[in-house]
Amino acid sequence: MTQTKNINRIVILGGGSAGWLTAGVVAAEHCAGGDSAGLTDTTITLVESSTISTIGVGEGTWPSMRSTLQKIGISETDLITKCDASFKQGTLFHGWKTGKGDSYTHPFTVPYGYNDTNLADQWRRFRHQIPFAEAVSSQNSLMFSDLAPKQITTPEYAFNTNYGYHLDAAKFAELLKMHCVENLNVNHVVADVVGINSNSTGDISSLIIDAGEDVEGDLFVDCSGSRALLLGEFYEVPFISKKKFLFNDSALASQVPYSSSEDPIASSTISSAQTEGWVWDIGLPTRRGIGHVFSSAHSDEDQVGESLLKYIERTVSSEAASKTAIRKISFSPGHRAKFWHRNCVAIGMSAGFIEPLEASALVLVELSASMIAEELPANREVMDIVAKRFNDKFLYRWDRIIDFLKMHYVLSERKDSDYWRDSVSSESIPDSLAEKMELWRWQSPWHRDTMHVDEMFPSASFQYILYGMDFKTRARTANRRSDFDAQNSAERLFQENAQRTKKLVAAMPTNRELINKIHTYGLQKI
Amino acid sequence: MTNFVVLNQSLHKDLKVNTTRSEMYGDNVMHAMTFPLEFRDIQSCYPIFFSKDSESGKFYPTALFGLEQNENLFLSDDGWDATYIPMMIKRHPFLVGYQDAPDHDGGKKAVVSIDLDNPRINEHIGESLFTDGGEATEYLSDSIKLLESIHKGHEHNKGFIDTLLEYDLLESFTLEVNLSNGSKNQLQGFYTIAEQKLHELNGDTFDILNKRGYLQAIFMAVASHSRLRTLVDNKNALCA
Repeated sequence: MTQTKNINRIVILGGGSAGWLTAGVVAAEHCAGGDSAGLTDTTITLVESSTISTIGVGEGTWPSMRSTLQKIGISETDLITKCDASFKQGTLFHGWKTGKGDSYTHPFTVPYGYNDTNLADQWRRFRHQIPFAEAVSSQNSLMFSDLAPKQITTPEYAFNTNYGYHLDAAKFAELLKMHCVENLNVNHVVADVVGINSNSTGDISSLIIDAGEDVEGDLFVDCSGSRALLLGEFYEVPFISKKKFLFNDSALASQVPYSSSEDPIASSTISSAQTEGWVWDIGLPTRRGIGHVFSSAHSDEDQVGESLLKYIERTVSSEAASKTAIRKISFSPGHRAKFWHRNCVAIGMSAGFIEPLEASALVLVELSASMIAEELPANREVMDIVAKRFNDKFLYRWDRIIDFLKMHYVLSERKDSDYWRDSVSSESIPDSLAEKMELWRWQSPWHRDTMHVDEMFPSASFQYILYGMDFKTRARTANRRSDFDAQNSAERLFQENAQRTKKLVAAMPTNRELINKIHTYGLQKI
Repeated sequence: MTNFVVLNQSLHKDLKVNTTRSEMYGDNVMHAMTFPLEFRDIQSCYPIFFSKDSESGKFYPTALFGLEQNENLFLSDDGWDATYIPMMIKRHPFLVGYQDAPDHDGGKKAVVSIDLDNPRINEHIGESLFTDGGEATEYLSDSIKLLESIHKGHEHNKGFIDTLLEYDLLESFTLEVNLSNGSKNQLQGFYTIAEQKLHELNGDTFDILNKRGYLQAIFMAVASHSRLRTLVDNKNALCA
């Protein structure tokens, strides 16, 4: 038997939200257990530079963040009060279809009765009377009214309607850091990495830092941001650009204060299509994060800046627009050819980045970290097998993200610029997406379109976007047994959903009211 | 609606309070806040559970009178059939209000307020507030004492609840009530003492709970659950 090398020392490079979230998820599983005699402890060390600032534009999470934070052991009251966080129930899209006053939602709650009944087929008969999301989900109405997904009496992390968060990413990293260091035994090293030592096999053996001894490890997690210090610069794993599918590579970002402390806090990310891209609008309790995403190949920065200011004038005030400072962000849409190479795995922007249209950045961090926590290789011998599984899984996920985001553009009827015209050119549409959309002309997305149990975008999400954008799936020409069953239950489901919506709209506080109460009273744990 | 004003001897000298217990006067409540200092009396009549304040989400102990909203199974045409009426029920139509008072602690002083829109208030039937000589009647004096106890009770509840939460001693529960006529009721949205956890506490923790003065209250709340039987019996009698 050969001598195996156990994996006991994990080193994370980079202390943004990716680094600390990874540290929290892995440490909660591996460093916070009881003492079992004879077993070795896993140590986690996070190395971060004091000089590199993290990118914080105000971020949206998915509902998965609730269980992630619960596992890490952070109280939701702390998250809300310390990270300037608010509740997010999904995305509210304006102007994506025609740009002439059209709106629809992508709520986090799946359609009513989704387990058993495909309401999309039944809704078709009523498509001119009621928007899809309103017919099948209570959340749509809550989102349009800036209402909260729960009440002050609802325990931490429990909900009336499914939700994630909008939060200040820098403060979020700070809260995670405190918790990781104080409660989860994560070693924190503040230093600049000035070199990397590798052993004869090519594995990284330690990081050379400017202050102190080399940081040795068995597994190195690269959370160093878009520079990808370990996976990119050291291992030279190539970057795969996805610009031919999703053109956006730039953004102008701003932070805008509310006109008054009583202004509503939107409980959705608001995404408004513009002639030259789209504007995100993320309502935190103290300010709105507003930015314009665009393609540098298609658009002139000054023109985009003007349209951003117009948006701020229209939705906040001209005073706010005149005072706002605008910051330019450039990024390469795409990802590394693989994410786990030898004993190094990249998480966060070092793995890849794409426009934030469906807030996929933090959820990818959560998914990557939890796979590492669950599948942490027992020894170096099996690490390559785990690495392969990890790479297969995340390459698949990146492809699905690209398909899903691209679909938002393909469904648009906008023709008001080259940007929108080029977005529907056939060479810009991945084959995998074109194939699915062809199928969906004849049958609506349903459970078989969710190929994996841990699929990022379930078939329900495709339904919300397709039918929110008025995509037409033909009615069947032949009778089906299941259609009869569905017709029978559909009427009841639509009615129950309408009743439930009425009750929720009456019972839910506004997003601002609930957040103010949490700041005053906190949420109960049970 | 309510209309609370500060009680004033000259303005309110002719008022009387009808102390009859009836649905007409708003006694048809499902439950009412209670305080450890009256638990001994409460547990002899009503089950004690915990509920959340809809404004703050904070827990408070509550005495249960019914199995659904607006149901008080102790209330009939003959009045309220129990040997003890909870303080928060008895206090109506009075309330402790607070007035700005710069020379007082915290800049506020407690004053007795009366709800002029309360249906108990009239000038003909019930207990007078003031004697002809302008003195407070025994009824009013007792009511003021009651308000003082409630004021203390609120403070006491805060410490009690904080301690229960600190030791993880509350849990939610759902009670299935099967009535003799075959119908099923579900009691939801209440919390109770987590007995399993209570039994697993070590001696030091019991000592702490005892020194803080909450140990007896905890066990009285647990013992009070047997009073659920009275509620179910009353409900069965109603449905029969």
